[in-house]
This record gives sequence, C-alpha cells and structure tokens, in this order.
Amino acid sequence: MKARKVKKLAPEGALADNAQRIVAVRLEELRSFAGAAHDPAEVEALHDMRIAAKRLRYVLEITEPALGPSARQGAKTAKRLQDLLGEIHDCDVMLPRVRAHTERLRAEDVEWARHAAGGRAQDLTPSVASGAPNRARYRGLEALGVYLSARRSVLFDRFLREWEALESGGFAARLTDGLNPVRPEPAAPAGGEGP
Amino acid sequence: MAQARPIPELSPDMRFADAAAAAVEVRAAEVFEHSAGVLDSDDIERVHDMRVSTRRLRAALEVFAVCFPRKEHRRVLREVKALADALGERRDPDVALEVLSGVAAELTRSDRPGIESLAAELHEEQKQGNARLEQALSRARESQLEGRLAALAEAARSPRAQAGASP
Repeated sequence: MKARKVKKLAPEGALADNAQRIVAVRLEELRSFAGAAHDPAEVEALHDMRIAAKRLRYVLEITEPALGPSARQGAKTAKRLQDLLGEIHDCDVMLPRVRAHTERLRAEDVEWARHAAGGRAQDLTPSVASGAPNRARYRGLEALGVYLSARRSVLFDRFLREWEALESGGFAARLTDGLNPVRPEPAAPAGGEGP
Repeated sequence: MAQARPIPELSPDMRFADAAAAAVEVRAAEVFEHSAGVLDSDDIERVHDMRVSTRRLRAALEVFAVCFPRKEHRRVLREVKALADALGERRDPDVALEVLSGVAAELTRSDRPGIESLAAELHEEQKQGNARLEQALSRARESQLEGRLAALAEAARSPRAQAGASP
C-alpha cells in the first residue's frame, strides 16, 4: 500500500511542525481503512490497515522526544493495533498454505494409487487408498486448518471490539490534541531571588 | 525484540533536516550492529532483531524523505527495502515454524505427522531464505550501503540538499 503524500513539509522548518503534519495524515490514513476492515472477508483492507498502523507507530516513535507523552501513548496504541492485525494476517497467510500443502499431499496419493492400480486396470478397489503414503498426515493438517480458521475469527472479533473502543474513546482527537512540542524550561534569571 | 535506541538531542524546534540526519545515523547503526550472526538459523531472534531495525531505518528514511537528495535517497531506500525483503523471506518460515511447534505440542500424537510434513517444507524454505539473505547482505556490503547512509545523513545536514519524496 502506497503511503499518502504529506503536503507542505519543510526541511528547514521545525521538527515538531513537520511531525504534526505527518501524524495527522497517517492517522487519517489508518482511520480510512476502518470501514472496509469491518468486513472479515476484506483481507486486503485489514492488511492495509496494519501497514497504516505501522506507519503511524513509527512516525510517533521517532518524533516522540519532540512531541511528548501523547505521542508515546499513540505509538503504543498503534503498536497494539498493528500486532493484533498482524496476528490476523498470519492466519490469512498460513491458512491457504495449509490447504495448498494438503492438496499437494492428496495429489501425490492419487498419483500413487493410480500407479498401484496398474496401467491397464479396469477399476480401483477402495482398499488401495488405505495404503496411501500420506494418509496419516491429513488429520493433523485438517486440525491445524480448523484451529487457524477459528483463531482468525476470534482475533477478528477482538479487533472489532478494540477498534470500536478506540473510536468511541476519541483516540484520534486525543492523540492530535495532545501532541504538544516538548520545549525545555527557560533558564531562571541569574540572581532572580531577591534579598 | 530489540528496543529502539533513543535518538539523542531531538527537540521540537530543531531543523527537520537535522532530525533526519540524527534519525538515519542512529537507525542505520542499529541495522549493522544486528547483522552479526544473522545467518545462524539456530538463533532466530537475530534475524528478527535485524528485520525490526531495518524496518525502523526504512521508516526514518520515509518519514524524513523530503530532507535528502532525491536520487540518492531513492537508491538507498530501494536497497534498504531489498534487505528488509530478504530478512522477511527468512523470518516468515521462522514464525510459521514457531506456530506449528506450539500447535503440535497441544494436539494428539496422531495429529503430528501432518504438522511435521508441513514443518519439513518450511525448514526447506528457511534454508532458501538464508541463502537469499546471504546474497542480500553481500550486495549491501558491495554497494557500501552503510557508508552511503552516513553520507545521506551528512547531506541532510547541509542546507538545500533536499527534495526527496513524500514520507
């Protein structure tokens, strides 16, 4: 997912001003995926939202010394979201992989059984399948597939709850309103205390 | 996971380009420190740490893109991305194997042959990933990526060197 362009960045300008502009764009980018990500089938939107959370997290982490505690808190929130979406993504990557592996084993077994029947066979007896070399492997792979599908569903529901809690708690406004440049205290004038 | 090293002397009113130079210097140093022993597949945390630090470097290059000379920034970013991709290819089977190991420990004995057959496939990918990572590390050394990152940071410190892409 290509990052949205941030306008009016100035290399000669102050770090805090530029950082606030970037954070505002990255925050809006993150929130823009939330609608589509409410659909559990929208694998791509969830993936894009994870990348957007990662981008927001990193800009907050880098600029936190200049932007203060709200940036630190925002980076933690973005990381939590990124990690949760990452776990969902891992299931989305692993599931097709388990299915593809199972298919490959099945194709090997079909080939083996076909070969066992001989080139001029008229038909095939079911007992041939009981000797298939990968027969003992399907059970564990099916169990793994069930586990990953169910875990994905649990994590997705958790994501919805956590995202709704963030939105209803006004996290975006709290983050942007709380980004206050951390400026050093002015030095006390010498001899400031009177006699 | 390795904690990100703080970037010293960042202050709200400093030049954005000076912050860019400091961020890239610190993040680049982290990447190359974590490169030691990264090809040792018995210790998967090394790859993870280097991958995370490469991501942080990439983020710094993207956040501060506008502060660097455009052409060299683009080249360096492409090389950092290639390194990150190679680390990802190596890391992905590590993560999958960890998941499988956790699942296998909780399933019954008769479920294990299937999990083990998938694990064997992933071990093969881990080896291939290591070979690709070795190539990517060699390319980074040959192109003197570390020195070019230092030069990029230095260029950001000189006024008017900028005009990179948007972060």
